[in-house]
Amino acid sequence: MLGAAIIVFREVLEAALIVGIVLAASAGAPRRGFWVSIGLAGGVVGAVLVALFAAEIAAAAAGIGQELLNAVILLLAVSMLGWHNVWMSRHGRELAATAREVGDAVISGARPLYVLAVVVGLAVLREGSETVLFLYGIAAGGGLGAGSLIAGGTVGLAGGVAVGAALYFGLLRIPTRRLFTVTSWMVLLLAAGMASQAAGYLVQADLLPPLGDAVWDTSAVLTEDSILGKALHTLIGYVSRPEGIQILLYLATLGAIWLLTRLVGRPVRPKTVASLSRGAATPLLVIFLFGALGAGSVGFADELKVRYPIVDYREFEIEHNGVTTFDSPKSGKSNNQFYTVEWGFGPFPNYFVELEHELEAPPGENITYDATSVENYFQLTPTGKYWGDLAFFAEYSQPAHRADAKAFTFGPLAQTQFGEIAGFGLLHTLNLLFTREVGNNSTNATPLFTAWQSRLLINQYIQPGFEYYGMIDDLGAPGKLADQQHRIGPVLVGLQNFAPYGKLKYELGYQFGLTPATERGAIRWRLEYEIPF
Amino acid sequence: MHRSALLPLALILAMASGAAAQEPTYTLTIKDHQFQPSEIEIPAGQKIALIVKNNDSTPEEFESTELRREKVVAGGEQITVYIGPLKPGKYEFFGDFNPKTARGHIVAK
Repeated sequence: MLGAAIIVFREVLEAALIVGIVLAASAGAPRRGFWVSIGLAGGVVGAVLVALFAAEIAAAAAGIGQELLNAVILLLAVSMLGWHNVWMSRHGRELAATAREVGDAVISGARPLYVLAVVVGLAVLREGSETVLFLYGIAAGGGLGAGSLIAGGTVGLAGGVAVGAALYFGLLRIPTRRLFTVTSWMVLLLAAGMASQAAGYLVQADLLPPLGDAVWDTSAVLTEDSILGKALHTLIGYVSRPEGIQILLYLATLGAIWLLTRLVGRPVRPKTVASLSRGAATPLLVIFLFGALGAGSVGFADELKVRYPIVDYREFEIEHNGVTTFDSPKSGKSNNQFYTVEWGFGPFPNYFVELEHELEAPPGENITYDATSVENYFQLTPTGKYWGDLAFFAEYSQPAHRADAKAFTFGPLAQTQFGEIAGFGLLHTLNLLFTREVGNNSTNATPLFTAWQSRLLINQYIQPGFEYYGMIDDLGAPGKLADQQHRIGPVLVGLQNFAPYGKLKYELGYQFGLTPATERGAIRWRLEYEIPF
Repeated sequence: MHRSALLPLALILAMASGAAAQEPTYTLTIKDHQFQPSEIEIPAGQKIALIVKNNDSTPEEFESTELRREKVVAGGEQITVYIGPLKPGKYEFFGDFNPKTARGHIVAK
């Protein structure tokens, strides 16, 4: 009975600690009980389902279904916790202030409590499914009578819940003013620990390299087998012998959530037009950003092109891109031109670098040199090894005019071949690129540029498809759909091989504007000559 | 960006893409809540695939704190766990659902 109690306690402990933090982080929010209950109930149902289908899950995805499920659950929880922190950094102060005065009904109406429900549910699901399997094993094996099984399970469950409750009530003793700061830190560490756990699962499944088996070893001091070690493993992601990739993901998650709370979590205050009222500031800001003074890499008639995650190793390339927009003459959006000339080469199998010169002509003006950028492509997965190819893109843009802001643009590039039409395969590419400005006249805005292309692989010469481009000027204040730029349209892609002298690639597309803020039409083209070396 | 700053990153990525080779396979069987064999010798510094077959009708979880591995094996099923590359040494593993009887270790040489 004691053995069963201890094992159940260890499984329940992890989930109970997570629920304790979540409850403390949502202290005072109305309808919180409802959401947490939903999460608990969903988690229990999910746990039983996962236990029932354990064999099928383990066999799925060529034997790595279990690791994939765990990693996906953990990463989903990480993103939920991260989103919670971003939201709290934006609203936490007002929430703490109003909580004592008039109640926080108004603000909390928008509070993403479902996020916490999901985290609770996922924690219960993960730990619960193992508990169910364990108890089932004992029951089926006949090692223990039903009486001691139930007794052991109940003692273990009660013990785990007691520790979670102790954490919760301990946290509640912190004054409201400081509580949200403390819980935000705990949530941050919880998320980082989960990310490193997810990395562990992906290494176990051979989807990620360990980058060093045990980078350090503190198991002489504390192992995860002990109750304290297990609790710290859950709370702050303690691992006595971490793999290199676990450390990397831990730090990356800390950094990413911290960065997002800094970038998105704060209300936007454009430095140069701060004194203007918000209503007037928005259009002025748009003119400021994209007009004659325009910061090179942001928005309006920016480069419309899809970036591919596959690095052309040992290739030198010259590339030209162009965009010209069409709209009614009075709109001020017609004949906006944007051109680039780029030189790039791939010195490593997974690294490609490009130097890009950007030229721009706003409506009715001559073409001027606008900015120079360095673009870096880091291919993260070996080409074709997994269901999709992934790269990380990072660009630094130096404006031609000293009054303009410098800008960093970065984000993932993903590609996968999926589905077919009339026997021809379909290739899909997605880019999500975030921009941050620094230096003179920079703003706190975080623009998000989305590019999506799906094309039919008929032959190398002609591949028709369609593309979508989206531009949200500030992720922190996305505004109305009408104010965002969205466009969609057909594209033709192909190449001519002149081996051994290289190959010529072309792309030609037309984009229809979908919102009032977008030009009605835009032609885009791309010419690229690649020479192997 | 300076090239010197990019080199370590490029190296990490090069390592990442080199992980595709075929690895040696070892098999472990669970019977009556015990691992057989209870000691497996593997080469150090090389990734291996460990197949765990569960001949019991009840589920078990192959777990090792030292190797940071845990994976449920349903009754009558088998799983594969990738391990290493390890430094030379002894690494304990156990069955999380029957930790008293199901014990063993891997020796990396």
